[in-house]
Amino acid sequence: MKGKKLQTLSFFLSPMIIMVGLFYLIPLIFTIYISFTKMKNWNTEKYLSEVVGFYNYQRLFHMFQHDPMIKAILLTTVIFVGITLIINVLGGLLLALGTFFVNESSASAIRLLWLLPRMSPIAVYSLVWYYFFHGSDIGTLNSILMKLGAISTPIPWGQMTPWGAWSVIIFVNGLVGVSFGMIVFTSSLNQIPKELVIAARVDGASAWQISRRILIPLTKWHFLYVLTWQFLSLLTTYPHLFLLVEWDLVNRDYGTTLALYVFNTAFGRGEQDQGLAAAAAVILSIIGILGGFVTLKVLQFERMIHEPRGDIE
Amino acid sequence: MKGKFGILVALVVFFGVVASGCIGGEETSKTKATKVELTGDFVKDVVAIGKALEENGINEVKFSAWGSGDPNSVMRVHGIVEAARRINKVWEENGVNVRVIITDKYYAAAFQDAYQEYLSKQPLGQAGDFFVNSYAFLPTLADEGYILEITEYANAYKSVIDDFYPSLIEASKFDGKLYGLPQDTEARPFYIRTDVAAKIGFNLEGLEEKVKNGEFTWSDVYQWAKKAKENGAAEWGLIHRKGSAHPDLIQFIFAFGGKLYDENSKKLVVDVPAIYKWLYVEWKFAQDGLLPKDIMSWDWAKQIHPAIVEGRTLFDIGGTWYWTEWQTKDYYGKEGTPRPLKPEEVQAWLAYTLFPAGEEGLNPVTLSQPFVWMINSQAGQQNPSYEEFKELYHELAFLMIIKASDPDINAIHSVISAHLPVRKAAAELIRDEEWLNELKNLNLNLDQEVKDNLRDIVATTVHPINAKFLADVSYMLEYTKLAPAHPKYPALADIFKEALDKVLRGDMSPEDGVEYIIQKVNADPELAQNVEVIGEVPKDWQFP
Repeated sequence: MKGKKLQTLSFFLSPMIIMVGLFYLIPLIFTIYISFTKMKNWNTEKYLSEVVGFYNYQRLFHMFQHDPMIKAILLTTVIFVGITLIINVLGGLLLALGTFFVNESSASAIRLLWLLPRMSPIAVYSLVWYYFFHGSDIGTLNSILMKLGAISTPIPWGQMTPWGAWSVIIFVNGLVGVSFGMIVFTSSLNQIPKELVIAARVDGASAWQISRRILIPLTKWHFLYVLTWQFLSLLTTYPHLFLLVEWDLVNRDYGTTLALYVFNTAFGRGEQDQGLAAAAAVILSIIGILGGFVTLKVLQFERMIHEPRGDIE
Repeated sequence: MKGKFGILVALVVFFGVVASGCIGGEETSKTKATKVELTGDFVKDVVAIGKALEENGINEVKFSAWGSGDPNSVMRVHGIVEAARRINKVWEENGVNVRVIITDKYYAAAFQDAYQEYLSKQPLGQAGDFFVNSYAFLPTLADEGYILEITEYANAYKSVIDDFYPSLIEASKFDGKLYGLPQDTEARPFYIRTDVAAKIGFNLEGLEEKVKNGEFTWSDVYQWAKKAKENGAAEWGLIHRKGSAHPDLIQFIFAFGGKLYDENSKKLVVDVPAIYKWLYVEWKFAQDGLLPKDIMSWDWAKQIHPAIVEGRTLFDIGGTWYWTEWQTKDYYGKEGTPRPLKPEEVQAWLAYTLFPAGEEGLNPVTLSQPFVWMINSQAGQQNPSYEEFKELYHELAFLMIIKASDPDINAIHSVISAHLPVRKAAAELIRDEEWLNELKNLNLNLDQEVKDNLRDIVATTVHPINAKFLADVSYMLEYTKLAPAHPKYPALADIFKEALDKVLRGDMSPEDGVEYIIQKVNADPELAQNVEVIGEVPKDWQFP
């Protein structure tokens, strides 16, 4: 009987176990191993067996200690992840709630509109905002404000430190992330039995009361998921930031997060230093694991996975 | 018994025949050539390789060509296409039934991106067989074994190699061994708007000589730039390029007598006095409103080039390729819809000299970044029996870049992209008016596909004015400096750019800029090991 149970369990769990093993565990083990080697320029034949101990970690910590940019980078990481996370999660929730109360065709149109930033190729999307926020009169925003007479000279938005640069990177990334929360929350709201909402309506509840008393409490699981996922994703994201910094739209110090700093150091300067990048990835993973753990604790994940007590003994 | 005997005899005979066939076959395969001794006679070598391939049952050789750069430099890929056609023609004429086919033609706008692409795909066997890129990347690629060493092959083609300018052949070497053939080079002229100069009484007669003799220095540049701005003749005194990938601004280091690389220690150098003077000059220009403080974030197509072609600056630090880029890109918007300049307009509005000396007693400079034809160390890998006939494929690949270096191919590239020719025979050709006329009409013996791809570029760029420009600036190569071909140089160049940006914006003083550079270098132990910091900030130095 026990064997049968194990067999059934293995059958259902195997796809997930294989996926996790193949795409998470093995790469993780490889990454940890590479972080202890001299691996660079993708030359596995030459460097993969050249173990250098903690050299890459020492080099990285030396940079963290002595780089004059590092304070700005750490501060930028905290502000960027913190504020963009709030925008992503709350923005997604608000959009999902907003579209929940309008008719389906309008809701679909709104959702599609918000999905555009995520669907657009990164370079195209970033280029749009490059020209929008450009710090000269070729920038769309400056041009509009100058035509309206609101400003007389162009404002270098992304080069105003720190808040100008932060605002641009948060805005550009915030728009991309909102759609993720929106989809998850929309799907969760659609799972809530319609009877609850109808009954509340009959009792005279307003949209706000329905949201606060019924919808939001019932999306707790999804909220936890979106929050944790987006936190980890923002901690490691860099493509949009890379382009905005590379194109000199935003100030380098206050437009660079830890993930981008690591990317630029390991890959952006002529050499491709996979050993160093792997060490940084391990450190970022540790920060991510700790951050994820704290999020789960704060949102009382354990209480949520307790078996329901039930009403009937 | 008789029957058994018969069977036995038949078996012996059968095995004998099979064995003799096998032995004979083995003998045949032993005689199959897997390598040809290159003689230096191109036709003979091509035919020998072709025959060897044919004998081995190979009638088709596939290669791919990867290039990158400005929109007019497409010959970096089409040169290979044309070389293939010329080799195919030799085979056809000599009855060899083999063809080279260029399967993949990849052309990226940013040469750094193309390099990263090559670096990550070469070990996977997915990179191009031919790769044209900056000499600056050659040491890393050679050191990793990603490109083919061609010293031995080149020895057989000494007469061709000797026709290249020696400094460019040196730039194609790593550790004393040859890893490529020069494809192009350039100078970075210091452009002066003649119309703006005329407005402020700046006589350009004899200026070129004065610059050459070090009599016209950056102090003079400052004075005239100031005058142009104060008189309202131009919005800016000076415009220059941006970014660390375009190492134009390190010309200041050389113009102030500094260096970037130490031959003895094989290390990069942070030459503090020269770097300080560079940052100070730029800071002074920016503080006095002669150079935009935010130039490092200016847009290439909408700000930098229009400011020059529309005469909104007196001086510009640019490159030779600007000359034709201004004639093909819609940068001139003074009359409404932006349009390219005509060759006559470029000639009338822009004068050019070397990059002036930093101060009296020093020399003018220019900077070159030669591009090099490199061969993938796995060239020919997409062909059958690669391991067995590797040597033949590599020899053929070498002959392909020899052919792609034909004087006419190199001269076409030079004329249409305003780069300087890399060999003497090509330099002579661009002075030949008759040949230029043939090129203008595309009446040359070129592959139809190449002609089709060049038609628009040729129509706008092939002009006696442009050929004269190339001839005029060729002397600059005598003054040229090369950025260090050191794997850590891009990291240092990045730091220079960051410091300069902060100094230009006024966020840092020039002294702080120097300090920032040193701090950044020392922050990375691996970079610090490869860089020497020399000298101190000069205390009593004044500018202008």
